[in-house]
Amino acid sequence: MILPPVRYVRPQSVAEAASLLAAIDGAAVLAGGQTMINALKLDLVQPTALVDVHRLEELRGIEVADDGSLVIGAATTYAEIAASPVVRHHQPSVADMAAGLVDRQVRNRGTIGGNCCLNDPTNNFPPLLTALGAWFHITSTAGWRSITADTLFAGSLATALRPGELLMSVRLKPLPEGTRIVHRHLQLAADSWALARVVVRLDVIDGRVEDARVVLGAVPGSPLRLATVEQALLGHPADTRLTDAALTAFDEADVETVGDAHASAAYRLEMTRVQLRRALDDAVERSVAA
Amino acid sequence: MSTTTQTSTETGTRAWTGRAMPRKEDDRLLRAEGEFGDDTPIHRLGHVFFVRSPYAHARITGIDVSAATRVPGYLGCLLPEEAASLTEPFMEIQGPPEGAEPEVDRCLAGGGVVRFVGEPVVAVAADSREAARDAAAAVAVDYEPLRPVVDARDAVTPDAPVIHAQTKTNVAWEGLYDWGDVEFALEHADHVISVDELHFHRFSSTPLECMVVTAQYDPGTDFFHITGGCAMPQITTLMMASAMRHPAERIRIVSKDIGGSFGVKIGMYVPATAVALLARKLRRPLRWTETRTEHHYMGGHGNERWFRDVKLAVQDDGTVLGLTYEALDDVGAYTRYEPLGAAIWTQVANAAYQLKHLKVRYRSVYTNKGPVHPNRGYSRLQHMWVVERMMDIAAHKLGFDPVGFRLKNYVQPNQYPYTTVNGCVYDSGDLPLSLRKALDLIDYEDARRLQERARGTGKRIGIGIGSTLDSGTNNFAQARLINPHLPFAGNTEGGLVRLGADGTVYAVTGGVAFGQGHETTVAQVVADLLGLTYDDITVHRGGDSALSAQTGFSGSYASQFAVTGIGAIINATRKLSHEIQLVAGAVLGAAPEDIVLEGGLAKVRDDAERALPFDAIAGIVHFAPGSLPPEVADEVGLVGRAVYRAPFELPDLEEKFGNLTLTYATQIHACVLEIDEETGQTAILRYGMVDDCGTPINPMVIEGQVHGATAHGISAALFEHFGYDADGQLTAANFYDYHAATAYDMPSLRYDNVVSPSPFTPIGAKGMGEGGGAPLHAICAAIQDAVGDHGMILDSYNPPEHVLRALRGADAEKVKVD
Amino acid sequence: MTVADHTTVESPAPDVHAIEVVVDGRTEEGTVSSRTLLVHWLRDELDKRGPKIGCDTGNCGACTVRWNGRLAKSCMILAVQADGTEVDTAASLAAEDGTLNNLQQCFKKHHALQCGYCTSGMLMTATDLLESGEEITDRSVRRALKGNICRCTGYENIVRAIRAAAGQDVQKPHGHEEGEAQ
Repeated sequence: MILPPVRYVRPQSVAEAASLLAAIDGAAVLAGGQTMINALKLDLVQPTALVDVHRLEELRGIEVADDGSLVIGAATTYAEIAASPVVRHHQPSVADMAAGLVDRQVRNRGTIGGNCCLNDPTNNFPPLLTALGAWFHITSTAGWRSITADTLFAGSLATALRPGELLMSVRLKPLPEGTRIVHRHLQLAADSWALARVVVRLDVIDGRVEDARVVLGAVPGSPLRLATVEQALLGHPADTRLTDAALTAFDEADVETVGDAHASAAYRLEMTRVQLRRALDDAVERSVAA
Repeated sequence: MSTTTQTSTETGTRAWTGRAMPRKEDDRLLRAEGEFGDDTPIHRLGHVFFVRSPYAHARITGIDVSAATRVPGYLGCLLPEEAASLTEPFMEIQGPPEGAEPEVDRCLAGGGVVRFVGEPVVAVAADSREAARDAAAAVAVDYEPLRPVVDARDAVTPDAPVIHAQTKTNVAWEGLYDWGDVEFALEHADHVISVDELHFHRFSSTPLECMVVTAQYDPGTDFFHITGGCAMPQITTLMMASAMRHPAERIRIVSKDIGGSFGVKIGMYVPATAVALLARKLRRPLRWTETRTEHHYMGGHGNERWFRDVKLAVQDDGTVLGLTYEALDDVGAYTRYEPLGAAIWTQVANAAYQLKHLKVRYRSVYTNKGPVHPNRGYSRLQHMWVVERMMDIAAHKLGFDPVGFRLKNYVQPNQYPYTTVNGCVYDSGDLPLSLRKALDLIDYEDARRLQERARGTGKRIGIGIGSTLDSGTNNFAQARLINPHLPFAGNTEGGLVRLGADGTVYAVTGGVAFGQGHETTVAQVVADLLGLTYDDITVHRGGDSALSAQTGFSGSYASQFAVTGIGAIINATRKLSHEIQLVAGAVLGAAPEDIVLEGGLAKVRDDAERALPFDAIAGIVHFAPGSLPPEVADEVGLVGRAVYRAPFELPDLEEKFGNLTLTYATQIHACVLEIDEETGQTAILRYGMVDDCGTPINPMVIEGQVHGATAHGISAALFEHFGYDADGQLTAANFYDYHAATAYDMPSLRYDNVVSPSPFTPIGAKGMGEGGGAPLHAICAAIQDAVGDHGMILDSYNPPEHVLRALRGADAEKVKVD
Repeated sequence: MTVADHTTVESPAPDVHAIEVVVDGRTEEGTVSSRTLLVHWLRDELDKRGPKIGCDTGNCGACTVRWNGRLAKSCMILAVQADGTEVDTAASLAAEDGTLNNLQQCFKKHHALQCGYCTSGMLMTATDLLESGEEITDRSVRRALKGNICRCTGYENIVRAIRAAAGQDVQKPHGHEEGEAQ
């Protein structure tokens, strides 16, 4: 399929990229292009120009900061994340997710930054990074800022990025000892997009839930945190009763699902509940096992 | 029944036929040296882009192309009025309803109305792909939306909007099939299983290469040269010729490598007409390269069908007597190849069973959806699916063992040739043996134990059987069941085999391959008949209407190549052999019948000293005809061109009775699947297929076809659905939303076969490849087996949500036992 | 929608670019517009028939190439992005004289292709998998092929061919005779 007319520029530095984004009205960032190019083909986006940041070394790479945080450059590919022993050591759930994303070809091109900035409700990273409490480092000609996942992800296909801003990196603070991350999703096929997605994070200290995040994907507004469920989990013993407590607190009115060719809204909602229960059971099981 | 050809055994050798020869096609394809539709470089090639309707049903109130004309590279466009003035409406099988005009079907939206989302309205040409896209995007079309009809059940209600104003009804064709006495059977049967409604969903084989049409017009000779993946070249030529008021002999259609068709590319003539008209108007070679999205809109969907008021009559001892239902076949916005599907299903009226009574009221119904085209298993798989569903439901409801119930009712090995309720003749087979082998492939007894052990674990195991036929080689007289005025009867295919000036052999078949390995199987057969090696034979790639190998029905569809294509090649090779014998006999001083062809030589029988190599024979005929006796020189051209005629008679149109198909390959599938009770997700644990297509020409190719048909069926049963929303918008317009199974989705496939040679065909082979949709039958049965008779599986599409609903008892009330 | 007027828009982002790419070992120069996809440049300008187009959404993998040694779908790369890089298509797999490599021979022997349209992409993905050093099993091969759609073979023979290329003993095609001519 032929792309609509669009211009292309490849800056040599982040500073130049920021200037270009500021100077060109309607410019968009091109990172791995694994969603952007298709969105262009299908006329879903209409940028005037693409500012290609994929080769910028400043946006790539994986390192551990002085405070022990894992910092992943926005243009780092899924394959690089999956292959990184550092990510595997510090944030195994991020490594697992990167290793399973889409397919071999796309993993070589798709970037964590692109996945987050497009924030398609079917994307995998936004719910996980929300559960992990990720911080996003953003730059522009006006300066830089850091925002949390809760701020960045502003609803389906929407982010808090302002025109001219460029995502630099994703920062993940070290997880407390005893944190459980469980990601569960349900697909039409062994190999398709998710009909329901849940990420559960439990920080368990001395057998009690110290902090909890329960995030839904594949729903409008994704990633969607379930505040009432999180609240119900706080302080709860990390045992088999935890799941019931969470499900009791789960108010389906908090979640809007939409039907499509593959599943009705009601089914998606019900499956969200099933995945939530399974994720919590897994988290508790791992917690008990640990 | 007699056959028109001798078998190849007359030459005494079968050195190549029947073996798993590696394919001739493979080297070029593996080296990326194939030539598909969009591969051919052409000087000054322009590109066509279609402006398509965003509405399912709307009146066109204005078209403004002025902005398009300002796009750099713009060459020109074709508008609906211009197309209407330059063309006749496409030929239709059904003809107009009594007292009405025909529907308007042209290459661009006809009659000022669009009738499905994605219907072409304007064709725009430009000197690059980009410019064509931009120019098309700059065309402004104004529409006045009309109420769409999306569901065939709504389309037949009195207040439904009429999609074709001229025909005054959404029923494109209506007919009653009534064989035996089903009322009597229902009245007197021990049991009647009734189902209110079953639904066979819309999907397509969606070939990986979409359609590509390259049209070149030569004003000097007034010739159109069309290149593209044309699955039925002569019919396509005829459709285009009559539409464009152009002599068919001045339209040449060439195909090279084709990236799949599975039937749907039969619809090529519609866009090809628009491209050809523009090429002539602009005096530029033009190419239209269909996008995936366009293909999903109008590349051809399989028939969606509703079965209503379905009744099956069954005796206490498990004997099935008869079946009746009403069919609403949703053909989409235009009939195109339809309503032929209304007749095609009757080829397998009995499915695999000894039904005695069958009554079907069948209606082909227009809706505001993409037009259907013949798709792998065309129209038969829908009927066989409903028969298999009813057999399965009856077994559950009446407590029969699903294996024993099928074994009892299958057409039995000693009954062949078996005449069906409607006069079709099942040629051969061994269904009980096939079923036993299929059950072995899934280790049936073990699977039943697995099923027991799974109880209470949150997972359920289901075991399902799919019994199906692959009817091949049409008797086109069946079109007269739809319209008695049609001139069709029987079926032929053409073939041409020639000895070139240097003695090399070149074979051309009228069949057009899109992956079935025709070059391979033709070479195997020709090599045997001429006493040459497999490598000695060059087979023409693709099709070329100028090469005289084609007949009217030429092409690849309806599982027939092993019979018609190979039959024609055998006949053509025999003609060539005869000419070689004439020449060798004259030169060697022997009677032609004493010349045998062996090892590249024409030899006098029992005389090793007297022989001529083929290159010498070719040299004499091509360059020294003066040295031959005149009566030989006048007769030989070293080109054997022949047809194979399938031995058919006209059916009785009143009774709708007669043989409609020459061969019936069988496939029995068995599968074991696991269902998650909470989510309805299915996972196939074991999958086995047993194929019987008579004498194999290349068993490796056959196994490959079975694998492919199985994947289509599994994917269709679980993932693929051309759904439309209430506004008539297609919800699966690309491979993101239309999930074609990947390797990761597919189970390992276990294959076995049975060989029941056909008594009616040249070498005992049967056409095969379509596969009859067996996985749809088997998977539905397996889900039903897992669910028990709590809920009922009444839809061919079973994504997790449907399965979960069934587990909760959905549709149980639609099934009654009396 | 409106069409950008190519002559009057002033933008720091140019619309046309000169590129130089090493394709299948040969340096190729070209001029491409910003929006030209790599797959179109390879096909239309260089007559490379390996990469094919089968979808609009990056799902089918028929356009798979190796880009600087990494597997990628050339329908989701702009041609201009390939400037100064190396691209290998399926045309690079066979020997100079056309002799099929081991993987290609296994595809042929195991009937792992029918229409051949997906084949180049399949070969590129399989090559990448086999060279990765990852464990080769039925499951791992199927997983590696997730991004390549085939509508003819049902994948079974492709999986077998790849495992055979890895030296595994897999089921031969039906009717195969020992010592059968290749």
